[in-house]
Amino acid sequence: MARPMVMTLFPETQAFAQRSTQAQPALSVRNLTKRFGNEIVLNDVSFNVAEGESLVLLGPSGSGKSTTLRIIAGLETPDSGEVVLHEREIEHLRARDRNVGVIFQNYALFPEMTVAENIGFGLKIRGVKARKRAEVVDRLLEMINLNDQRDKKPRHLSGGQQQRVAIARALAYEPEVLLFDESFSALDPHTRVGLRREIRQLLRRLRVPALFITHDQEEAMELGDHIAILNKGRLEQIGTPQEIYNDPQTEFVATFLGSANVLKGEWQDGLIRLDHGYFVVPPHEAFDIPIDDGERVKIIFRPEDVLLSTMLGVAESPYHLGEGEVTEVKFTGATEAVTIRLLNSPLRPSRPQLVTSISEHTEAKAKECFVKTLRSKWDARRVRLAPGNRVSIGLKAHKLLRGDTE
Amino acid sequence: MAVASSNLSAVKKKRRFDLAKPTGISLVVVAMLPLVIMPLLSIFIFGFSKGPSHFLEALVNPAAIFSLKLSLITSSVATVCNVVFGVLAAWVMTKYEFRGASALMIVISLPTAIPTAVAGFALLLLWGPFGLLGQFLEATDWQIMFTTAAIILANIFVTFPLAFGTIQPALENFDTNLEDAAETMGASRWQAFRYVVLPSLRTAIITGALLTFARSIGEFGSTIMVSGNMMMKTQTAPLYIYARYNDGDVEAANAIAIVLAIISFAIFSLIMIFRKRLER
Ligand SMILES: Nc1ncnc2c1ncn2[C@@H]1O[C@H](COP(=O)(O)OP(=O)(O)O)[C@@H](O)[C@H]1O
Ligand SMILES: [Mg+2]
Repeated sequence: MARPMVMTLFPETQAFAQRSTQAQPALSVRNLTKRFGNEIVLNDVSFNVAEGESLVLLGPSGSGKSTTLRIIAGLETPDSGEVVLHEREIEHLRARDRNVGVIFQNYALFPEMTVAENIGFGLKIRGVKARKRAEVVDRLLEMINLNDQRDKKPRHLSGGQQQRVAIARALAYEPEVLLFDESFSALDPHTRVGLRREIRQLLRRLRVPALFITHDQEEAMELGDHIAILNKGRLEQIGTPQEIYNDPQTEFVATFLGSANVLKGEWQDGLIRLDHGYFVVPPHEAFDIPIDDGERVKIIFRPEDVLLSTMLGVAESPYHLGEGEVTEVKFTGATEAVTIRLLNSPLRPSRPQLVTSISEHTEAKAKECFVKTLRSKWDARRVRLAPGNRVSIGLKAHKLLRGDTE
Repeated sequence: MAVASSNLSAVKKKRRFDLAKPTGISLVVVAMLPLVIMPLLSIFIFGFSKGPSHFLEALVNPAAIFSLKLSLITSSVATVCNVVFGVLAAWVMTKYEFRGASALMIVISLPTAIPTAVAGFALLLLWGPFGLLGQFLEATDWQIMFTTAAIILANIFVTFPLAFGTIQPALENFDTNLEDAAETMGASRWQAFRYVVLPSLRTAIITGALLTFARSIGEFGSTIMVSGNMMMKTQTAPLYIYARYNDGDVEAANAIAIVLAIISFAIFSLIMIFRKRLER
C-alpha cells in the first residue's frame, strides 16, 4: 500500500453525494451574507437540503445559526445571497408567503389559544373551513398522541408535549420545509432523547425536508442525514456525520464535533517540528502543492484512533507518531482514558538523518506535550498500562492540515 | 440554608417583646380612622339614617338620575377613546424607534401631572368663544364648550396616560417570537395582532379601561370648568353632589355620593383582581 489508509469517505456516502447533486435540492441557500452593524454574522454561507432529508446546522452560540434560519423563514433579510425553496426564489417574499414551518426555541405557542386552536391557526389564516380544519387538527392530535389535551392552554403542558404541539402546528398547513431552532435544548435529557427519535421517524415517514439548528453534537449526529458546521458565520464543512467525524477539514470541525488531539508545528527538513520542541516524522501523505520548510502544519487525531503498544519502536498502525510515557490512566467502564506524555525518541530507522537534527539543546528546551487516548476495555485488559510505562504511539487514522488557521 | 433560617426565626422569637410593632399598627389605624374610614362610613350612616325610602326618593329625582347617566356615558366614551389611543400609542412607542420618541413619551404621560382645574381651563382657552380654535367654531352652529362633548374632552385629557400606562409595559413584555411564529404560519401583521397580540393584552387593556373609567367618573375639577354645570344638561354626578350640597339639599347630595362610592368600590375591586392577573 502506497499510502496509509486514512479513513475518509464511506462508499455509501459517496453514492449519496452523487445522488444529491443530481436531484434538485428541496432547499438551497446560496452565498448568504449578513451584517449587524459592523459585525459580519454570516459570511458567504451556502448549502442544500435534499428532498426528505434533514440537515443539521451545528455551531457554537453566536455563530449565526439562528440568523440563517430566520433568513430562510423570512424573518430577517440577508445583505446578499439567495434562498431557493423547491426551485422558487423566496428571499424577496414576506415570511407569510413562504410556506415554511418553524419550531422556535421556546416553541412560541400562542398562550391564549388552546392546543387545538394553536394547531389549527395556520389553516384558519388560510381560510380553511372550520369542519375541514377540525379534521386536520384531529389527525395531528392523534399523531402526536395529545388528543386528551386538545382544550388545554399550552402552559398546562409539559415541555415535551409543548414541543410536539409546536411540530403539529407547523405541519398542519403542509409546509415545504421544517426549520427547528434549538428545539430540544429546553427539554430534560430523557425527554429529549425520546423526542428526537420520534421526530426522526416522523420526518422519515412524511419525507419533509428539515433543517435543525443546534450546538449539541450528540443531537447533530442523531438527527442529521448531513451536518453543516458553522463557525463565526462561515460554513466550515458539510457532510454526513461519518464524513464530518472521520474526515474533518479544519481544526475547528475536529475539535467541535467530538474530541481531538491537535499537534501543531512546522515543516523542517522533511520532518515536523512540533511547537513543544519535539520532532516527529510526518505521515506519508503527499500534499498537492509541495511544502516548504517553515510552513505551519497540524496533525489532528481522535483519542480512540490511537493504538498504544508496549513494544517500543514497532508500529502496528499505519502511522507511527513516536513514543511516550503514560501519565494517567482512567477507567470509565466501557473505555479507558490514557494520557500520554510525548517523548522525543526513538526515531524511525528509515530516517537516520533525524538523529542529527535533534540536538541536546532542543530536547532540554522542549515543553511537555500530552496526547489523550481512549481504549476499549478489551484493549485495556490485553495490554495493561500504568503511569510510568513507556509506550509506542500509533495512529489508526489522522489528519494532516496545512496552515495555522483554526 | 434551612438550618440558618430556622435559627434566625428562633432568634426572632426569643427577642424581647417589641413595643414598636403594636404601636406602629395602632398609629396607622388611628390615623386612617378620621382621614379615610370615618368619612366614608359617614356617607352611608347619614344616607340611610332616615330609612331606605328617603334614600330612594332622593335617588329617583330626574336631575339625579340624569347626572348619573351623564357621568356613566361620558366616562364610557372617554374610556373607549383612551383605550384605543392607549393601544395605538403603546404599539408605536414599543415597536418603532424614532427621533423624539422620548419627548413623545413625556407628552403622553404629562396629563396626570397637570392639576385638573388647569386642564379644564386650558380646554376653555382653546375651545372657548375666544379660544385658538373656538373662534372658528363661533361662526358655525357648532359648540364644544358647555356641552357633553366638553365633558368628554376633559375626561380624555385628565385620564389620557392611564390606559397607555398599563398597556405599554404589557406590550413591551410580549414575546415577539409569537408574532414571528404567526407570520411564518401565514398571518398578516394585522392578523398576528388581532389573533395573537391582542388576546395577550386583554388583561392589561381591561385594567387600563377600569383605571380610566374610575378616574373619569369622579372627575370634578376640569368638568366644572368646561361643562357650565347646567342641571339636566351638563351636570355630571360629582357636580350634582356639589350643587345639591350648595343648595342645602344634603340628602340629595348624599344619595348620589353613596351611588358613586359604591361604583368606585366595585371598580376598585375589579382593578385589584386584574392587577393580580397582570402580575402573573
Ligand atoms: N437583531 C440583531 N441585531 C444585532 N445583532 C444580532 C441580531 N441578531 C443576532 N445578532 C448577532 O449575530 C450573531 C449571531 O447570532 P445568532 O444567529 O443568534 O447565533 P446563534 O443562533 O448561532 O447563537 C451574534 O453575535 C448576535 O449577537
Ligand atoms: Mg440561536
